[in-house]
Amino acid sequence: MQILKNKTNIDFIGKRKPAVFISTLVNLAIIVGIATVGFNFGVDFAGGTVVELKFDHPVSAAEVRERAEKGGLHDVSVQNIGSEADNSFLLRLGGVTQLNEANAEKAKAAIQGLGNVRNVYADLANGIVNFRSATPLDVQTIKKAVEDSGTGVQEVRVLGENQGGAGVDYQVVASGMADKVYSALSAGLEKPDFEQRRVDYVGPQVGKQLRNRGVMALLYAMVAILIYVAFRFDFKFGPGALLAMLHDVIMVAGYYLVSRREFGLTAIAALLTIVGYSVNDTIVIYDRIREDMAKYKGKPLAEVINIAINDTLGRTILTSGTTALSLIGLLVFGVGEIFDFAMAMLVGIVVGTYSSVYIASPLTIWLDERAAAKDARHRGGDIKHEPKTA
Amino acid sequence: MDRGWWWKFGMIVAVTLGTFWFLIPTYYSLVVMDRDQRNNLALLQERLPAWAPPAKYRLNLGLDLQGGIHMVMRVDTKTALQKRTERRGQQIATYIADKKLGEVTADTDPEKLQLTLTAKDPATMDAIEKDVLATYGDFKQVRRDGATLVLAPDESQTNRFREEAVDQAMLVIRRRIDKWGVAEVDVRKLGTDSIQISLPGRSNPEQAKELVGTTAQLEFRMVDDSNPQFFAQMFQSNPPPAGSNITLADEGGFPQLQAPTREALLDYTKGKVPENRVVLTECIANPMKKNECTSYRTFLLDKNVPLTGESLAGADASVSQMNEPEVNIAFDAAGAREFEKLTEAGVGKRMAIVLDDNVHTAPNINEKIAGGRARITMGRMGARSFNEWLGEAQTLALVLKAGALPAPVTVGEIRQVGASLGDELIKKGSLAALMGLGLVVAFMALYYRKAGLIADIALILNGLLILAGLAFFNATLTLPGIAGFVLTLGIAVDANVLINERIREELSHGKSAKAAVDQGYDRAFWTIFDAHVTALIAGFILFFTGTGPVRGFATTLIVGLLASLFTSIVVTRVIMTYFVHGKNAQSVSV
Repeated sequence: MQILKNKTNIDFIGKRKPAVFISTLVNLAIIVGIATVGFNFGVDFAGGTVVELKFDHPVSAAEVRERAEKGGLHDVSVQNIGSEADNSFLLRLGGVTQLNEANAEKAKAAIQGLGNVRNVYADLANGIVNFRSATPLDVQTIKKAVEDSGTGVQEVRVLGENQGGAGVDYQVVASGMADKVYSALSAGLEKPDFEQRRVDYVGPQVGKQLRNRGVMALLYAMVAILIYVAFRFDFKFGPGALLAMLHDVIMVAGYYLVSRREFGLTAIAALLTIVGYSVNDTIVIYDRIREDMAKYKGKPLAEVINIAINDTLGRTILTSGTTALSLIGLLVFGVGEIFDFAMAMLVGIVVGTYSSVYIASPLTIWLDERAAAKDARHRGGDIKHEPKTA
Repeated sequence: MDRGWWWKFGMIVAVTLGTFWFLIPTYYSLVVMDRDQRNNLALLQERLPAWAPPAKYRLNLGLDLQGGIHMVMRVDTKTALQKRTERRGQQIATYIADKKLGEVTADTDPEKLQLTLTAKDPATMDAIEKDVLATYGDFKQVRRDGATLVLAPDESQTNRFREEAVDQAMLVIRRRIDKWGVAEVDVRKLGTDSIQISLPGRSNPEQAKELVGTTAQLEFRMVDDSNPQFFAQMFQSNPPPAGSNITLADEGGFPQLQAPTREALLDYTKGKVPENRVVLTECIANPMKKNECTSYRTFLLDKNVPLTGESLAGADASVSQMNEPEVNIAFDAAGAREFEKLTEAGVGKRMAIVLDDNVHTAPNINEKIAGGRARITMGRMGARSFNEWLGEAQTLALVLKAGALPAPVTVGEIRQVGASLGDELIKKGSLAALMGLGLVVAFMALYYRKAGLIADIALILNGLLILAGLAFFNATLTLPGIAGFVLTLGIAVDANVLINERIREELSHGKSAKAAVDQGYDRAFWTIFDAHVTALIAGFILFFTGTGPVRGFATTLIVGLLASLFTSIVVTRVIMTYFVHGKNAQSVSV
């Protein structure tokens, strides 16, 4: 069996200009989109709380939201996951702790009203308020005061008496959002009619760290691969591979941007895998070009590249096809992030194959042409100077 | 068939057998053992046949697949630092008063962590400034305006202190988890101010809360040694129930009860203790693994707590002139008075240092100690190196500091997966992997006939090798890891597509079957090599920068690429060569 019965002779390279033009346009649009609209960051990066609930009887997303709001949860997004019969929902809450800027001011004022209190200091990132009271206070009183001001309190810690006798230090820890989900939804029920299957809670500081690390990982991978390609192939192949890689990463990022799928750690893993796959694909074609360059000495590089691409067209389709085939199971059975991962990989495989032909190769030709032109100019200069030295 | 072929063939057989052998512990842990015993390494080791690899080489399931809690705690070093700066400020004020340099008030700015000293009499400030800066090296001067002197803690000191605060918090967390008797817990430092905790199989967030809930409680309690035979009598008159594993151990004339779990001891002694006494336990650490308790022993203590960590001003481990490790402790003024009273009354008795209801140590009181400064010398028991010995002193100092200057902890990240969801994900993940693998296998067999079947054999071996490799590296299989597994197999088969296409091409140039196969492999080798190395680079970077599930994905990718280099190039070639050279075939089925 053969996928392409006869050798093709398509003029890929001839159409490189419109292809590069369109790709550049799409890439720029995605970059602008990322800068203006932005990704739908998941809790991994944005910080926040995600709770997955499975009810033991059919309910609608609207009912779940209504119950959450009745229980005092506002700004909650409810999303049905899996099939209808699963009765599973993802609840997303923006804040991590109940302490936000507006709340913190109120909580501070409430604490100040407790008596001779000073050094009130709210740490929003960690959801805590520290303060010192000249006289010992009752923990329950503090808790009540802060809760009445609108911030749920997980606990009030006594940090100890100040040694100089200046007072007692307290720390108020605001409640996390995840607890609130459970209590809000089971309010008024004898026994909760749902199971809390998964909780993801990421503090804003941790989220920022994770995001920075993810972006750094992408950059490191690109640089390392570029060095390897430059070392294994000729210098003029390097930029092509890098540009193709960038193109593919941006395209896959575009998938996350346009589909509004959650952009989290798994998305970073998908992007990094695409980096590896994209170069993998480019190298397979480069390898053939390198081989054909030796075989067809004297022919212009553009022509050699066209021959190489045509010769390997069958196998390019096959390798991409088999990799895509392996993803079908994940697309069928995967939910949530894993489905998105498989989808992103599929997009990556398609654009990766395309970019090896239409992005990497044209840049290589262009660099080659420039080098040749420079060479010619240089040689011309030499001839001019020759009589003088002779 | 030449000798080289036979060598390679032998190697492949050995690798295949080794792969199967290495998967035995994984098979036992996932299929033979009960679900809730999956993490019980000791039981697994017992069940495994003697010739199998050790139980620790089993493939772990990630928390997302078996249910459990992954947590990252952030140590609130800022609050801890603020408390410490304040304490130092009080010490400086006392020092100035003691030296009769003048009278100052010390104030700490909670945001900037600066210490402001204000002199009652501005004229005394010059002398104070000079003396304080010379004596307290851990502070730098920020500015001086007349009667006020603003100081800031020295950066290297604060960094050391931050590190110490994280160590303290970690110690407290370890002790608390230990109370639950969870063996497979993993507690490690993450970055500069975070602690990562994995609790496989646990899904009770209440327990997680206990870790952060209360600050550490350090207590000094007197040991009741009035009846050295207390536990021995209890053991004889009222023997523990069968199966409780409680034994009587006699070390140094004070028989103690000993058992593998805390609960057993506390349950047994409940109601058998005089009214104003309490039984607490001490952890007997595993000499191989410092943070694991092999068993616990009992102490009979006074219920009354005369002294707590709040009265403690500081603790430090050092080495004495006798070259013995020791811990120096200092109490504040009120603590010093109480400590003097206690030691006076308790000469010859023992005083237990208790952190979060765990007895840490119970040193003898040798004499009455006045002035609030005491020294705890560490007895050398058993064969221990000096470093281990010193390590004990350092741990004790850390325990004391954790009680004296507790660093508050907040939750930075919680990922909790219920067991039922984990089971579902395993099922779906395996189905997805099997479906992807099945489709690829079917396609290869249809498209390349015999060569395709050979590639399929290699692919299946590749899959098994990945699992064995993950087990060998003690890696954890996560859901993204399964996705990585599937994808790796998809990429691995690419190598065989490249080779087979090349063989077809060589055949179309009119080459003989033998030459076409040989050239096909030789020519495709570097292409495959380059392609794999670039993907490996991405994998390694993902591994070194990723955490949790993503790291699992990277491990799978790396192991998969290495396995694929072997199976797609070496294994298929050996089989192909057998069919082409060995049978002297004139044609080849690709």
